[in-house]
Amino acid sequence: MVTFEAKGTPGTSTLPAARVRRIIKEDKDIAACGSDSLYMITRAAEYFVDSLVRESYEFSRLDKRKTVQYKDMAKAVQSIEQYDFLGDIIPPTVTLKKTTNEKSQQ
Amino acid sequence: MSDYEGGAANEDDLSLPRATVYKLIGEMLPEGTACAKDTRELLLDCCNEFIHLIASESNDICEKEAKRTIAAEHVLVALQELGFGKYVAKVQEAYDEYRKQQTKDRGRKSTKLSQLGMSEEELLRSQELLFAQARMRYQTQTTESQSGNSTPATTNGAQ
Repeated sequence: MVTFEAKGTPGTSTLPAARVRRIIKEDKDIAACGSDSLYMITRAAEYFVDSLVRESYEFSRLDKRKTVQYKDMAKAVQSIEQYDFLGDIIPPTVTLKKTTNEKSQQ
Repeated sequence: MSDYEGGAANEDDLSLPRATVYKLIGEMLPEGTACAKDTRELLLDCCNEFIHLIASESNDICEKEAKRTIAAEHVLVALQELGFGKYVAKVQEAYDEYRKQQTKDRGRKSTKLSQLGMSEEELLRSQELLFAQARMRYQTQTTESQSGNSTPATTNGAQ
């Protein structure tokens, strides 16, 4: 469900492409990225933000809250397979049971 | 919770601009809702990771084709491969608009001249006139400050 419609001139992006390029360049394995591809990645990132925000919001809504909190985003990341790559950034919020089990195993 | 701390100032360059991302978040959430500060920070980091992910996958696909530069198709395939196929249609659409805009801009650059309503000869003549006027101003200045001959600057009418 991609619902974000970019406002502003068509063919532009809200996120600055130059910044995205800098982020991409951090990867030494990447030799070059054409400006067309750069634009696509920038727009894809915007859709990603849209998806993640809305998916996180669903959890806040279920909890009857109007503010999206960290735990909502954590749940969203946990529940969606495509977000597995974010595993290191958002360590899954472990339940108390799990932590007590782990502690007893140590 | 996590040990995540906000990025240091010098890392900001390697991350998306906070204000822009926060604005995006605001636009994406329904009215009357907000996003907690630490969650916004988290989203920023997630977005950076996403960019790395797509770029890296696109690069792999690009290398498999023995190419050096990531091309548009590589990005589309990457998105599909990574399970973000739902973005493909929208990204493609945005890309088509982007290409359209590019051709328009190129066209607009040439029409700017024609929009002046003057022929190239007339443009050259008016340019010569402007240069001559500037020259006279310069000459008047220099003769006031020193007695001597000032060589008129050579003008080149071609652009």
